[in-house]
Amino acid sequence: MATARKRTLLKVIILGDSGYVNKKFSNAYKATIGADFLTKEVQVDDRLITMQIWDTAGQERFQSLGVAFYRGADCCVLVYDVNTTKTFENLDNWRDEFLIQASPSDPDNFPFVVLGNKIDLEGGNNRVVSEKKAKAWCAQKGGIPYFETSAKEDYNVDQAFKCIAHNALKNEEAEDIYLPDVIDVNATATTKKASGCC
Amino acid sequence: MTGLVMTSRPVVSHETPEIGHQKPVSDGFSHTTRCTEAKASELSNLQPSLAALCNEEKTYQSAVVVYAKENIFVQPGIKCKRISGRLSLLKKAVDDVMFLAWLPYALNNTSDSATDDNKFVVISDGGPALSEASSTAESEKRDRTLYAVHPVPISDMRAVRRHTPTIGWHHIIIVLHTGLSLPPLYFTNGGVKDFLTVLKQHTCLVRSPDDPNLYLVNDIADPLQRSMTALDLLEVQNRAGWSESAGGSASLFVRGGKDDLDTPSPRDYSLGVLEHFSRVTKLARDTTAHIFGKDQGLDASTWPCEGEETLIKLNYPPQGMLAVNCADGEDEAPVLRVVQSDDDEAAPCDSDSQSRCDDGESASTSVGSFELLESERIVSSSKRIPSRAQRPFPLSVEEWCAFFEPDGRLADERGFRERAFYGGIDQNVRKEAWKYLLGYMPFNSTVAEREQIREAKKTEYDALKAQWQSISASQEKRFTKFRERRMRIDKDVVRTDRLLPFYAEEDNSNVELLRSILMTYTFYNFDLGYCQGMSDLLSPILYVMEDEVDAFWCFVGLMDVMESNFHRDQNGMHSQLQSLKKLVQLLDPQLHCYLEKMDCLNYFFCYRWVLITFKREFEYSLVLRLWEALWSKHLCEHFHLFVCAAVLQKHRRAIIHGEMEFDTLLRFINDLSGKIDLEVALYDAEMLFQYAGEAGQEVLPTSGP
Repeated sequence: MATARKRTLLKVIILGDSGYVNKKFSNAYKATIGADFLTKEVQVDDRLITMQIWDTAGQERFQSLGVAFYRGADCCVLVYDVNTTKTFENLDNWRDEFLIQASPSDPDNFPFVVLGNKIDLEGGNNRVVSEKKAKAWCAQKGGIPYFETSAKEDYNVDQAFKCIAHNALKNEEAEDIYLPDVIDVNATATTKKASGCC
Repeated sequence: MTGLVMTSRPVVSHETPEIGHQKPVSDGFSHTTRCTEAKASELSNLQPSLAALCNEEKTYQSAVVVYAKENIFVQPGIKCKRISGRLSLLKKAVDDVMFLAWLPYALNNTSDSATDDNKFVVISDGGPALSEASSTAESEKRDRTLYAVHPVPISDMRAVRRHTPTIGWHHIIIVLHTGLSLPPLYFTNGGVKDFLTVLKQHTCLVRSPDDPNLYLVNDIADPLQRSMTALDLLEVQNRAGWSESAGGSASLFVRGGKDDLDTPSPRDYSLGVLEHFSRVTKLARDTTAHIFGKDQGLDASTWPCEGEETLIKLNYPPQGMLAVNCADGEDEAPVLRVVQSDDDEAAPCDSDSQSRCDDGESASTSVGSFELLESERIVSSSKRIPSRAQRPFPLSVEEWCAFFEPDGRLADERGFRERAFYGGIDQNVRKEAWKYLLGYMPFNSTVAEREQIREAKKTEYDALKAQWQSISASQEKRFTKFRERRMRIDKDVVRTDRLLPFYAEEDNSNVELLRSILMTYTFYNFDLGYCQGMSDLLSPILYVMEDEVDAFWCFVGLMDVMESNFHRDQNGMHSQLQSLKKLVQLLDPQLHCYLEKMDCLNYFFCYRWVLITFKREFEYSLVLRLWEALWSKHLCEHFHLFVCAAVLQKHRRAIIHGEMEFDTLLRFINDLSGKIDLEVALYDAEMLFQYAGEAGQEVLPTSGP
């Protein structure tokens, strides 16, 4: 029996029209040019996972860069602003664009997470996208986990990232069934057949 | 006379009456003082003049030949006649110091003392008279002079690369610690192995673990120690001015007779390069951590095990470039000939570059990966690069005023541009000077004309601004495009340089000005609209102009050049990043191969550098300095790409040995922000520019920034 491949680095791509996901407001904050990432340590069960959280230029105009920047992603986080309808409507575009640019091997099962951000704004009085509406969209897309967050107040962000790590790892465990640690040519041929049947 | 000679016969058999030292000497002990004199004389006369060279020969008279091989030839160029000579290893009797030399046989028709084939031609550096001479004989003689390898201490040798093609002559290429390499030495009837065997008897010669054809000389096992040793070596050379050995090999790279009085001696470049080195050396002395830790983004503890190209800064250009330089004319690039081993008979020394990429053996598997610190392009160029210390102060108010004619025309545009490039511009002059650099004010405009222009531009700006300001709230509801742009601009201006006092605090009026100018620009250039990055480009302009109208038109001038960076199809960015790729391929094939292997050739890790011209990479005041240097277009319109290449090259070791992949490389590049020494980068970029020459120009984008 193969032992699970213990990965400790997860590449997570943040997309959407609402920035400020994992950054506090500050004067030093600048719009991302090209792409950058920060790393965040997350404890998942008994494992310490390093998450590489990628922030790319928000403007659609720079989407073509995704081919390079999304490569090898383990999870994609779609963020919208609960106070702006347009940002919610754009989730479809972002998701599709990601799948085109990153072209993951199994697009139907690629882990996404949706964050409804800025729930703190004006005490929630400006809110235009309801939680129900957002959850319906997530269900329709194959049961994407949904979180409501306030990056500014640091509300629910950690929980969201734990879930993100979990999801990305779940995917990995699924891979492990088919990809033993030690691969020999014959074994690979067999597993390929097996996975083809499933 | 072929084969191995273990004898104590004198090396130099001809006599040099000018020196008054006429006796061939074989005792090897009685000339210690003369050695010292010769050295001193060479230091005082850096050009390898006749006298100095005679002294040099005298120096080695007190040496014994431990190895000599006849009919070893150098091929100066594809169509050039080969130059035959004798390769020898000499041992100075007095202190057992080993030297290597290759001296060409004398031409039969020269009037020099050496007429016998086995004697040596007297080396002179030519001088103006010689360079004027056009006869083949003179040119051949000069070649002989140029390619002679005056005795080089074995301790200066870094590596020997053996080339044993199945078709063609076997040859060796010797690389020195300085990064210079000696011309390929072709063995007409074998004997490379014998040579290496003898060399091994007299020095520590280790076959590179990465490349069976590469032999490392004086290889010290600990790479850190090895690097330090190499650095110290350079420092010694630097202290001595230009040491005998370095001078000897450098004479290869100095064209005969180009030094007329009004162009600075090519030696300046050599010294400039030494100065460049000395900076490294100084760092090395300060703390190793400084150079290997902070400076390189690496701990001393993570210092890579493979440190072979520690000192190698530049690589030979690929063959395409050789060809181009060849075409420049024979006087242009003697050093390039040094690497032209690719004639009909001998296999090209760099022909395995593709396989190098494939098997991932990046470092020093070919002579191409070793090359020199400074190029002959620089050495031979008539253009002098001011060293950092020589760079002038920023263009002052007084100087600025002196540029103007009585009617207010800026008289010397070229001079002004050059001045801005090298020294930058004083903060008090920027406001006026930038208007010229950004095309807002024409150089030949008078005071009256500029007032008219200002008046007209003010009116135009007000009209453009009124267009968007008059859009009512209800109109805006039906105007999605406008709303989106405004939102995007609002979002970006509040996070643009807010740490700078000029833009700090809530309700800052300058932030409002940024907003107004950007909004107006989207109406001035509606098709382009607003793109992220523009606020970064505008911020320094407004900071300098301190005026909405002037800042707007200067920004328009800048965007006219940079617009394609923001095109939806990204054509401007792609063409620049592609040019950068080609530039690195040209200037540093090894780094190129590495990036290719890592699938990083899209150069997206340099995206931010290029999109907003290093705006995020330097402290604010330095951004102003860099931009005016770039806007001066003193050297070329795409000088920023040379800056990119220079910074990459500075960190090539960390990148290659750190085995960075795309992600880590991007992070590394982004993290260089605030850590790049701008003046060093500008200096290096100019070196690369001179080095790349026309081949560099050819890979640059045809238009745009």
